[in-house]
Amino acid sequence: MPEVRIIAKNFMDMVASMPAMKLDKLYENGFICEAILRSLPPLAKKYVLQLLHIDQPVLARLFAEWVLPDGLSKHKVAIDRLLQLRLFVEALDSRKNEKTYKVNPTYQRSLQQLLVHGGTLPRESMPSNITVRLPTLEDLETYALEQWECFLLQLISPSHADKTLNISSSLMKVFQRRLLSQRDREAPKLTESGFQFLLMDTNAQLWYIIREYISNSEERGVDAGDLISFMLELSFHAIGEAYNINTLTDFQRNIIKDLADLGLVKLQQGRKESWFIPTKLATNLSVSFTESSSRKEGFVVVETNFRVYAYSTSKLHCEILRLFSRVEYQLPNLIVGAITKETLYNAFDNGITADQIVSFLRQNAHPRVAQRIPAVPDNVTDQIRLWESDINRVEMTEAYYYDEFPSRDVFEGACDCAREWNGLLWEDSKKMHLVVKSEVHSYVRDFLRRQK
Amino acid sequence: MGYGEKGRPFKKPKAASKFEDSRKGFAEDDEEDDAYDDDEGKTKDFSKLELKLDHTNRPLWACDNGRIFLETFSPLYKQAYDFLIAIAEPVCRPESMHEYNLTPHSLYAAVSVGLETETIISVLNKLSKTKLPKEMIKFIHDSTANYGKVKLVLKKNRYFVESPFPEVLKTLLRDDAIARARIISEGSYGDRFTISKAAGEIEGTHDELLNEAEVAAAAEEKETHAFEVDPAQVENVKQRCLPNALNYPMLEEYDFRNDTVNPDLDMELKPQAQPRPYQEKSLSKMFGNGRARSGIIVLPCGAGKSLVGVSAACRVKKSCLCLATNAVSVDQWAFQFKLWSTIREEQICRFTSDSKERFRGNAGVVVTTYNMVAFGGKRSEESEKIIEEIRNREWGLLLMDEVHVVPAHMFRKVISITKSHCKLGLTATLVREDERITDLNFLIGPKLYEANWLDLVKGGFIANVQCAEVWCPMTKEFFTEYLKKENSKKRQALYVMNPNKFRACEFLINYHERARGDKIIVFADNLFALTEYAMKLRKPMIYGATSHVERTKILHAFKTSKDVNTVFLSKVGDNSIDIPEANVIIQISSHAGSRRQEAQRLGRILRAKGKLQDRMAGGKEEYNAFFYSLVSTDTQEMYYSTKRQQFLIDQGYSFKVITSLPPSDEGSRLNYHHLEDQLALLGKVLNAGDDAVGLEQLEEDSDELALKSARRSQGSMSAMSGAKGMVYMEYSNGRKGQMIKSKPKDPAKRHHLFKRRYGPT
Repeated sequence: MPEVRIIAKNFMDMVASMPAMKLDKLYENGFICEAILRSLPPLAKKYVLQLLHIDQPVLARLFAEWVLPDGLSKHKVAIDRLLQLRLFVEALDSRKNEKTYKVNPTYQRSLQQLLVHGGTLPRESMPSNITVRLPTLEDLETYALEQWECFLLQLISPSHADKTLNISSSLMKVFQRRLLSQRDREAPKLTESGFQFLLMDTNAQLWYIIREYISNSEERGVDAGDLISFMLELSFHAIGEAYNINTLTDFQRNIIKDLADLGLVKLQQGRKESWFIPTKLATNLSVSFTESSSRKEGFVVVETNFRVYAYSTSKLHCEILRLFSRVEYQLPNLIVGAITKETLYNAFDNGITADQIVSFLRQNAHPRVAQRIPAVPDNVTDQIRLWESDINRVEMTEAYYYDEFPSRDVFEGACDCAREWNGLLWEDSKKMHLVVKSEVHSYVRDFLRRQK
Repeated sequence: MGYGEKGRPFKKPKAASKFEDSRKGFAEDDEEDDAYDDDEGKTKDFSKLELKLDHTNRPLWACDNGRIFLETFSPLYKQAYDFLIAIAEPVCRPESMHEYNLTPHSLYAAVSVGLETETIISVLNKLSKTKLPKEMIKFIHDSTANYGKVKLVLKKNRYFVESPFPEVLKTLLRDDAIARARIISEGSYGDRFTISKAAGEIEGTHDELLNEAEVAAAAEEKETHAFEVDPAQVENVKQRCLPNALNYPMLEEYDFRNDTVNPDLDMELKPQAQPRPYQEKSLSKMFGNGRARSGIIVLPCGAGKSLVGVSAACRVKKSCLCLATNAVSVDQWAFQFKLWSTIREEQICRFTSDSKERFRGNAGVVVTTYNMVAFGGKRSEESEKIIEEIRNREWGLLLMDEVHVVPAHMFRKVISITKSHCKLGLTATLVREDERITDLNFLIGPKLYEANWLDLVKGGFIANVQCAEVWCPMTKEFFTEYLKKENSKKRQALYVMNPNKFRACEFLINYHERARGDKIIVFADNLFALTEYAMKLRKPMIYGATSHVERTKILHAFKTSKDVNTVFLSKVGDNSIDIPEANVIIQISSHAGSRRQEAQRLGRILRAKGKLQDRMAGGKEEYNAFFYSLVSTDTQEMYYSTKRQQFLIDQGYSFKVITSLPPSDEGSRLNYHHLEDQLALLGKVLNAGDDAVGLEQLEEDSDELALKSARRSQGSMSAMSGAKGMVYMEYSNGRKGQMIKSKPKDPAKRHHLFKRRYGPT
């Protein structure tokens, strides 16, 4: 299986990969410009601000002169990033025949405007006399995480989710595309990337899903640029405030339903109006995900007798544990499982590696055992690795077995033929038995036919 | 004993071994009550249990199938532990989370140490994070309804059946056999019972925790009703009360302070004998209400079981019969008595085939073996006299060592032969592969106390052992032979004699002898291997046929000599041979998947050495003892090894797997480095007779043959019990100086090495 690594990059990488036309269109929106600016490395930020009010192209040589020798690599990174995002436009000075940089005019205009006039959201939050029963920030966060978990559960094992989401099954399939593999009629299984996905923290997971959501948008007849600009805009809304749905375009209203399922916003309905409330997940969108990844408190205790105790009420956690252990008891706030050879072999079969399991157990160690060194008992981690290497001890090669050769000459000829193609696995010259790799089977067969 | 199999919805007090067929343990239990779905493959969902609001402050979860989970980091852990160990069977006790099972036996034990149904329920409820499941409450009620209600008390040599509930006594008297046994004394009229005040628990078993109303009630003085029974009928009455009849199992208590008929034995604990906290606790369970209860105390090997035994004898202060498993351990018990108590030399005597002593005076201590007492064949005149004395005497205390190894029928016999007021069983591992532990409950009494191994390690009371499983790959040649059908009988010999295993063993011995100056025991069940290894490495060995004198000699040299740092033991060394000096065990072959044997062997090195503060958690020496189990990979041994470790793993021990022994740079210095040596060894294994390379069959002397036939006539119990071969023999002096080489039944010449070192001069 080819290894698919999911790298949790940030939103801006996605922006950077868009065609120039679309980028310029995006940069007409001041919020996007601000979001982009925020995401830049510090040096790049400085360059943009420095050049913001200069309309003439600046010689690239000049930039280089600003930089101290040991800052050269940072300088390179900054310039690369700016070019990638088309914030800087590269040109050749005709007179001096030198490279010059200039800020993207669209971007320049939007950002100048934003700085001068301040940004206004296309909509204002609703007065509290209409929206009487807004959730507290705490409730909102719980809601968001619950919703997210519910989504994940639906994603990895639809049969275990207790409430169904509005997300269309076709969209769900898109999300599942690389996470689950379905072999003829069997229940879908998590792929290796699927397992890695489950092990990531929430922000990284969210990013993965959003990326899939956006990259697939064209298939659904949705413009990726519109989608990105709406999401970035959304990230500038205040957490916990209510915004009237009527202020959204039809296109945005469709999107907001999906986002509600993911826990990015909460939808509420009043007597006449309905509104959406952005959650922390939404506002995190414009932040660089790798930076904002916050460690949640762990919940897993692994004992020397291979028993796993997970302080969790989450069905999702239960499903994750099931990937590599036998869940024996489910208590109101505790899941009790056992890691056995069988459950691990099962996990290995599904492409999950020992290292992934061990790192999951370590990363999610309950605070009681997290300070202990090691957080997961050595004998358990050793054993998991040993069982894994046990499997790898035997290498499987598809092969063909030949016997009953009519004569020694034919047998030896066949051996030589296989050897020639580098496919001889085993021979017993006394009994005249031969095993060859399946790739060379056809050659050997042809050779034998010719002998007849 | 129909009881063990019937009417038990709850899981057996057995640590389900999770590596193999874990369903086995459940299947048998499900017959009666299908309401409990005990299929381990399925997740048991108790997530609907209602959490209490302050659940974080409470230490445990209780499930309606009897399983209890306890957080060890809770501030209430100590109290909760003491309580749980009294009412439930521990399943596993690693560091952070313990698991227990409520079983009818465990509740029987709880009731017998004075806990009442309502107390059990209310305390459990108080400790539980969730509301107690109804099923559990019902189960506790059902299980305790009949237990602990009736006591058999021996007072001034009259037997009384005692109960705080007169209606229970009436129920009993409706039984003909019991009614006939009753003695109507002059003081009582007709159906009236004698009424007296019984002392409450002197030391509330859980006073720290239960300092509330219900405890007060439990400790209050209670009116008890009693009737007297004919001493000759006592056994009969007890039988009638067992679960398969009236189902009011009797607790036996001995009011030794008021026993004026049996002479007192003048002995006290010496001042330097300071019982440790857990020893005190176990004794307090036994003497909780001022009388002596019969029962079993479970302490890890090396944790000072003998001091508990001697202390108990000193409290009862009556004649004491102490039963051990073999002659060496008889010597050790006698020594322990003299060490810890003020007993005089002439008051204590040993009775074995080698030493037939008799104590002087009208009270004393006799130390002997189970076999000597249970032996049914013809005895020498001298033995006959002593056994007659043992039979006729009323013993204050019957002290039984290593109760888990002795077959149930042997207990029956011993208990029926000897008349004792109180029985105390001691053991380290209340596991039997045959699950016959149940029998002990009614033959001796309930489990009174069980210590947590890990807590004792942390407290520095027993050694902190580093356990390791050393994986030795089979050499190509040995593995080829191993796989051949015609060698099926030699399989064990092949994987034990695997040259890689030998080299790993040799390396470990060298390392521990030279680098650390340790004392090493090497265990091998396979006699052929034992002999080969010992000869090749030039180390002394002890096995079944080694005479008592010789054993003593070897052990003495091991203890005192700087030159003798390694001794090879066959399975005779599993129990009781006390070698406090040893701190390293290397196990090269073992008895299939016996969890008990593994624990017993580990026990040989558990006695803590060095300074206490170094051993405590965080002390200087993290590990001061080492237990290596050498297994040949890809053989049956791997499977057994996992099973064997289960008990220890459940106690919180962990086995580290070592895969690369010996290190490659050591290779050439060890034996069997060259292929031709390995092949020579292989040839030796293959040429030996099938019986020679099998397990050690302890050779039987005439005593044992008689014992065997007696057993056969009793039925197939021993065959079923798996306790075959766990019988410990005495050997007469006549065999002194004979050693047996590879074949256990062929006397052969002593190896020159042993001749020089230990041979008679």
